[in-house]
Amino acid sequence: MESPLFEKLRHFVTRKRLRLALLSLLLMLSGFMLYLDITVRVQFEGKRWALPARVYARPLELYPGLKLRPEQLGTELAMLGYHDAGGQLDPGSFRQQRNEFTIATRPFVFWDGAQAALQLRADFDGSHLRSLTDLKTEKPVTLARLDPLLIGGIYPAHNEDRVLVKLNEMPPLLIKGLISVEDRQFYTHHGVDPRGVARALVTTLRNAGLQGGSTLTQQLVKNFFLTPERTLRRKFTEMIMAQLLEMHYSKDEILEAYANEIYLGQDGNRAIHGFGLASHFYFNRALSQLDLPQAALLVGLVKGPSYYDPRRHPARALSRRNLVLQEMLQQQAITQQQYATARATGLGVVEQAPGGTSLYPAFVELVHRQLRRDYREEDLRSEGLQIFTSLDPLAQFAAERALTTRLTQLEKARRIPPQALEGAVVVSNTQNGEIQVLVGGRNTRYEGFNRALDTERPVGSLIKPVIYLTALERPDAYTLATLLDDSPLVWRERGAADWEPHNYDKAFHGQVPLRLALANSYNVSSVRLGLSLGVRTVMDNVRRLGVERDLNTYASSLLGADGLSPLEVTQLYQSIASGGFRVPLRAIREVLTAEGQPLQRYPLSIEQVIEPGPAYLITSALQGVVREGTANDLNKFLSPDIHVAGKTGTTNDLRDSWFAGYTGDRLAVVWIGRDDNQPINMTGASGAMTVWGDMMAKLDPEPLEPPQPDNVEMVWVDSATGRRADDNCQGAVSLPFINGSAPVETAPCAAALQGQSIKNWFKRLFE
Amino acid sequence: MTRHSFAGLLFVIAISIAGCAGLPTREAESLPVSDNNAVIALADAGRADAANGKIDAAAASFERALRIEPRNPALWHELAKLRLQQGQYQQAEGLAARSNGWAGDNKTLRAENWRIIGQARLKRGDYPGAQSAFDKAAEQAN
Repeated sequence: MESPLFEKLRHFVTRKRLRLALLSLLLMLSGFMLYLDITVRVQFEGKRWALPARVYARPLELYPGLKLRPEQLGTELAMLGYHDAGGQLDPGSFRQQRNEFTIATRPFVFWDGAQAALQLRADFDGSHLRSLTDLKTEKPVTLARLDPLLIGGIYPAHNEDRVLVKLNEMPPLLIKGLISVEDRQFYTHHGVDPRGVARALVTTLRNAGLQGGSTLTQQLVKNFFLTPERTLRRKFTEMIMAQLLEMHYSKDEILEAYANEIYLGQDGNRAIHGFGLASHFYFNRALSQLDLPQAALLVGLVKGPSYYDPRRHPARALSRRNLVLQEMLQQQAITQQQYATARATGLGVVEQAPGGTSLYPAFVELVHRQLRRDYREEDLRSEGLQIFTSLDPLAQFAAERALTTRLTQLEKARRIPPQALEGAVVVSNTQNGEIQVLVGGRNTRYEGFNRALDTERPVGSLIKPVIYLTALERPDAYTLATLLDDSPLVWRERGAADWEPHNYDKAFHGQVPLRLALANSYNVSSVRLGLSLGVRTVMDNVRRLGVERDLNTYASSLLGADGLSPLEVTQLYQSIASGGFRVPLRAIREVLTAEGQPLQRYPLSIEQVIEPGPAYLITSALQGVVREGTANDLNKFLSPDIHVAGKTGTTNDLRDSWFAGYTGDRLAVVWIGRDDNQPINMTGASGAMTVWGDMMAKLDPEPLEPPQPDNVEMVWVDSATGRRADDNCQGAVSLPFINGSAPVETAPCAAALQGQSIKNWFKRLFE
Repeated sequence: MTRHSFAGLLFVIAISIAGCAGLPTREAESLPVSDNNAVIALADAGRADAANGKIDAAAASFERALRIEPRNPALWHELAKLRLQQGQYQQAEGLAARSNGWAGDNKTLRAENWRIIGQARLKRGDYPGAQSAFDKAAEQAN
């Protein structure tokens, strides 16, 4: 007896209908296949890895006569990860014997072309590089560059980082190792290894979870196209896609893609992808330079970069590497001899991963901001641009050291809670405006609030040189010897309370020579001078010198009530330090494409904004600040022969401590204060200037000897009266004057001497 | 005056003008740019690139040399020439002025710089400024 239901069903499933159903199932399946096929092809061919922009420091230029101490070269080489060469001088290694270095440089593509790997001998003569010789030819070398230090990157979304490599750049042993361990049938299967599938199926059916059995092609598919969920359906899709991939692309293409895609480590929030970058990350060398044990370690990491992390779990990593070597031996990829040697080798991983998460986040941020003016953010994060900057790592190191050490000392000495003080440092080249150093806070590795760029603090007396410069641009009215009035002043302005500026020493100084009013940073005479010149005129000059923001024109602006960032202050002083030429500050020199093609250069640009005469006079006055004024203590740090020009800045209630100063080669601005703007109880001289001094003492500054312009003459004047004198007068000083502006009236001492000498002349004549 | 001798006179005048114009340049270039071989090499490379119209590369070489010798007036002068050639007149003027700042009593170089400043001002339509610059160039010869 058949049930009515079964009868009904049989009636329904006719042959015709069955065929129809099968057909539509087939159609659906082929539609799915077609969809997968298109996905695979479009994605694989269109696959372009987002490559981060890479930011480099300045390359160290080596030439005979260069001012460089042997230990500085040692530091540079250590930062670059050059290792002590044993028997063999490979690129990226060196030897040092006292004052002689033997260096094998790494090849590098610069803006103006490639420099091949060189073997150099560098001889030092105390503080200078005496000679440079090519080891192979024994001929002198006029100029050579070390490869530049990688100081950071501008990363794509998910912070994936990689260095793309071509298959032919990969060491054959790495590929052999990879195939031995991950997919022995790679060159023979069609995307899926049936034995692997069977194995996987068995474990799955035993309910032991999905695992293993993936070919390299499947692993690539998984990383490329699929989410990491582990279901049977996804496994099925993966197998189909793997076979489709194999149908369209060669084994080499698949292997190359795999080698660049694979995840191999983590550096903070930066993900290390591909063997190319992993090689730098773990061994600080190019992939092509890896030896067998190193290659084997990278292969071993494929299984679990975190579990086998050679830095955190060296023992695990070592046994994993040795397992890889063993597999390679079994597969006859290496000889017994190779195996034994490699097995006996240490891991060889460098302790510190080179320049990924930047050691100089503040500087890299400045670079990033400057780049954003010319490039789309998306391109910066994906096109693999190479950015060459002006950062001087040796100077940066000195600045960071000086700031952090001093802040700790100052906190102790002034009973300020630990870590409450903050600071910022900017250093630039006085001649070309290149920024060599940028410190954004005492935690120099912290990628956060960048005080060098973003803190805006009242600049206090740092503004005064602009008042004096404005005066000196009128040689008919003002010279360095002009007497200024430093008696009490009440400033009345409609709609504002009366303002009575005071001097820091709470005294008034009567008639003061202009240069000494600046040297001693007298507020009252400076304000009076500024008011007679016009606040707006002075503030216009601040803008002319390179500060771009709008400034207030209150009387108090003359004492620096307005806030500027340390970078803006640097721009302001740059124009003074370069002798009256506005030179835009630059952090970037050149931009190259990922392939090393020149893309853009940021050229030196200058504009004369102050006549040479007044520019020379203001520098002379600022040298007076250090020689005999508020910055006199700087002589404890540097020889007076450097003739530093500088200015201290202190703000109300001692909340900010500033120092801006320049030597013959460098301008540096230092700010110290608290983020919560509490008083710090120090002046510019007792705070920021000590950081400046510590730092500069380490940088062997060039003396400041600006060229005397044609229309400037040196004249002896009596310091107190400002009248003409000669060097016989007590207290006479020799000062620069713009021609025709020197005092005419002679001081009594000079007149007397003149009479004396005439008498002597007559005496001699008649005796 | 015969037609022949007139042409001859013209020729002589033309030659002497050309000679005058060319003379200072040759003098300036025959002086060694530096006693530092690295700077000499970079300056030579810069001049060669400039002669081949590779202005960017030339500027890069001169700037690289300037990092080694920032007070070398000849290097600032070379950059000024490049910018003048490129039509960046304001830059040319600034760079030539910078060169003058470091030129000391090198009258030939100063005259050259004033000539660049004069030409730059001329191109920008500042005729009185140009005239005073050319006057300053002439003063250097005295």
